Amino acid sequence: MIKAFKKGLIGFGLLGVCAAGISGIAAVEEAQASHLFRTYKRETPPKPPETPEAIAEGKKIYEKRCWYCHGIEGGGDGPAARTMFPKPRNFTRNEYKVRSTTFGSVPTDEDLFRIITSGIEGTAMPFWYTISEKERWQVLYYLKTFNNQFKESGAAKMVSLGGGIPSSPESIQRGKELFKETKCFECHGEDGRGNGPLTVALQTEWDMPYRARDLTKSWLFKGGNTIEDIYRTVSTGFNETPMGSYLEKLSDEDRWHIAHYVKSISKDMTSDVVIKATLLETEELPTDTSDENWSKAAVIEIPLSGQIIASPRLWTPSVDALRIRALYNEDEIAFLLEWDDSTNRQEDVFRDSVSVQFPTKIPDSLKKPYFAMGDSGGAVNLWVWKAYWGEGFGSVIEAPETEPGEAYELNAKSFNKISRQPPESQNITGTGVYQNGRWSVVIKRPLKTDDAKNDIQFEVGRLIPIAFAVWDGSNSDVGSQKSVSSWYYVNLEKQVPKTIFAYVLVAIIMGASVELWFIARLRRFPPKEEE
Amino acid sequence: MVNKRRTYLMIWVIFAVICLFLFLKYASPKVFQILMAKGHPMPTPSTLMMWYMIMGVLAGLVYATTSNQKFVDFLSFLLPDRGPVIKSLLQKVLFVSFPVLVGWFVYSWSLPGAASPVELRIQHPTLPQNYEKLENPFRHEDAETQRLCIEEGKILFQTYCRPCHGSKADGNGPFANAFRLRPINFQDPGTIATVVDNYLFWRIKEGAPGLPSESTPWDSAMPSWKDDLKDDEIWKIIMGEYDTAGVMPRQREKLE
Repeated sequence: MIKAFKKGLIGFGLLGVCAAGISGIAAVEEAQASHLFRTYKRETPPKPPETPEAIAEGKKIYEKRCWYCHGIEGGGDGPAARTMFPKPRNFTRNEYKVRSTTFGSVPTDEDLFRIITSGIEGTAMPFWYTISEKERWQVLYYLKTFNNQFKESGAAKMVSLGGGIPSSPESIQRGKELFKETKCFECHGEDGRGNGPLTVALQTEWDMPYRARDLTKSWLFKGGNTIEDIYRTVSTGFNETPMGSYLEKLSDEDRWHIAHYVKSISKDMTSDVVIKATLLETEELPTDTSDENWSKAAVIEIPLSGQIIASPRLWTPSVDALRIRALYNEDEIAFLLEWDDSTNRQEDVFRDSVSVQFPTKIPDSLKKPYFAMGDSGGAVNLWVWKAYWGEGFGSVIEAPETEPGEAYELNAKSFNKISRQPPESQNITGTGVYQNGRWSVVIKRPLKTDDAKNDIQFEVGRLIPIAFAVWDGSNSDVGSQKSVSSWYYVNLEKQVPKTIFAYVLVAIIMGASVELWFIARLRRFPPKEEE
Repeated sequence: MVNKRRTYLMIWVIFAVICLFLFLKYASPKVFQILMAKGHPMPTPSTLMMWYMIMGVLAGLVYATTSNQKFVDFLSFLLPDRGPVIKSLLQKVLFVSFPVLVGWFVYSWSLPGAASPVELRIQHPTLPQNYEKLENPFRHEDAETQRLCIEEGKILFQTYCRPCHGSKADGNGPFANAFRLRPINFQDPGTIATVVDNYLFWRIKEGAPGLPSESTPWDSAMPSWKDDLKDDEIWKIIMGEYDTAGVMPRQREKLE
């Protein structure tokens, strides 16, 4: 009997190995997909001599891989540059940003090597650790020939970037004070969302390409987001930008304090596929964006990209993430949508807006309408909220901080088949607040409506496809030129039924009886070794 | 009895299974973070965890039955005897924890939850017939013309395809993170290297809307370029794309 039992076990074991192998493959893919953003590599290997041959080799590599964006003459004006913002580096000027050298000097070879190796987050510059170290050195020797300053200035003046003090609540507090005293907020904004008055003026009145970094988004730090990287950026500044060097203005210790403060406000994206709508047992769902009930709902942040499906496309989106919370009660569902926007200024047709998209009915299978505005096989229901637009056609206006805006429902079957629902079918309400570089918008609708053909009807416990779009008026977003997301799901969370405890009780009693039976049997017929 | 009896065998097996669980849950995310040089821990996915745990339990049982004596020892832990206090204590813990564990499993299984569904799709559906016969018009041109076509194609690729598929055609463009169905990595030998170049012509021209439903067209962000690019430009992009990715299209078998 024992032998047969053993054989069975081995068979099971083999089956288990195969199954684990298959799910192992799936697991690796799952893990990679969750790895949204890359990390920086710091170390640089010893460099080969900078000979004319090495430069000639570098030219070949440059003209195979780099010139499409950086231009054949290194002017940052390659043919592909037009679908990019931020623009590619112009090597003929000294506009190098990530350096360990003093403000206005050219970077060291190691600085360049590191950027070529790791790329620059939030820009089109990819990581090139895929080519050999030798090739990376050669190509950087070549791109140095575009700018004479590399030759003339001789050895670059390095900034000593040693030491460092550990992060502590006191250090962060001191950094916060310094952030005020040194007027960092004038560009980066009081909450660090890149919405300072100087940035807004440069962007809207001077039309300059400078955008102060949104310090709350750790994935957009050009020079890297480790504490050493932030400290280096504060110390050396970014050449040819309003971001100056604070090497002389602040003591070494104070620069660490600021770096610790910046690090403390920068957050990673916490993304998920299912947005959980929490049940709120109140009469009314909050219409106020600052209502404390919102803290009961889980926050999900999802990445957005430019709309590139249909012409006209948006190659240079300015909104790259949307934070979502959802609440529901017996009658209604409400979404709180938040995104960072450095300005709420807008022009005539270009208005800050957000939209939520659902299929017109919950799909029974995996099949959904097309994620970008539906298709002929499946229509979508869109809820749009648009910021205020008053008088002053053609001029730059500033939306008031709190405003009802305009909320309306659409149906679409493609980018050119969009229809606004008639007034009697409009069921949503929306309000928005712009504060400290962030739009917060609440959109509400009853769970069920009379127009079941064109409106999504919510059901508790189901996975309902949902997608989003955001328009930034100051980026001239309008119509199909918007930031978009893929399909996600929203789930109106089912409450834990009371019957679950009965099940658990039954399970425990059954488990205990099986156990008692087994032990009783074992004790009556104690196992004996077969001789 | 000459052999030393291993009266605690059952406890050791249970201990090993618990260790396995703790390793998978807490240690392995860190280990894989270091091994794969990632900036974040790599948690063990739940399905994999379940399989490893099943295997762990089975391995423990297999070990306990490798000899008859072991099996007898294994079971006899449950028998009453006048052993040390620690043994009777462990027996009691075991008696209580088994039904509790069963109850906990039932509780966690019947909790209402919404995991995202598994969205399986066929990456390479069959090429439609009307695209089968097409041929790259630059295929028989001389080497110099072909080089120019590749260069022109690369410029177009870097302008229109790069935002998602990346400068290196590795599926890592700046927009790639935003699409749950990630843009395809053309350097991967399982992608464009396994298809003939007409296949790419079809995909670029028709995009997601041209996919059959088993390939989940509703999730694909691949645009249909037929209104924006001329056929010649698409062929050039294909040549530039293969060159950038460093792979060759599959050669068509001779039908004769």
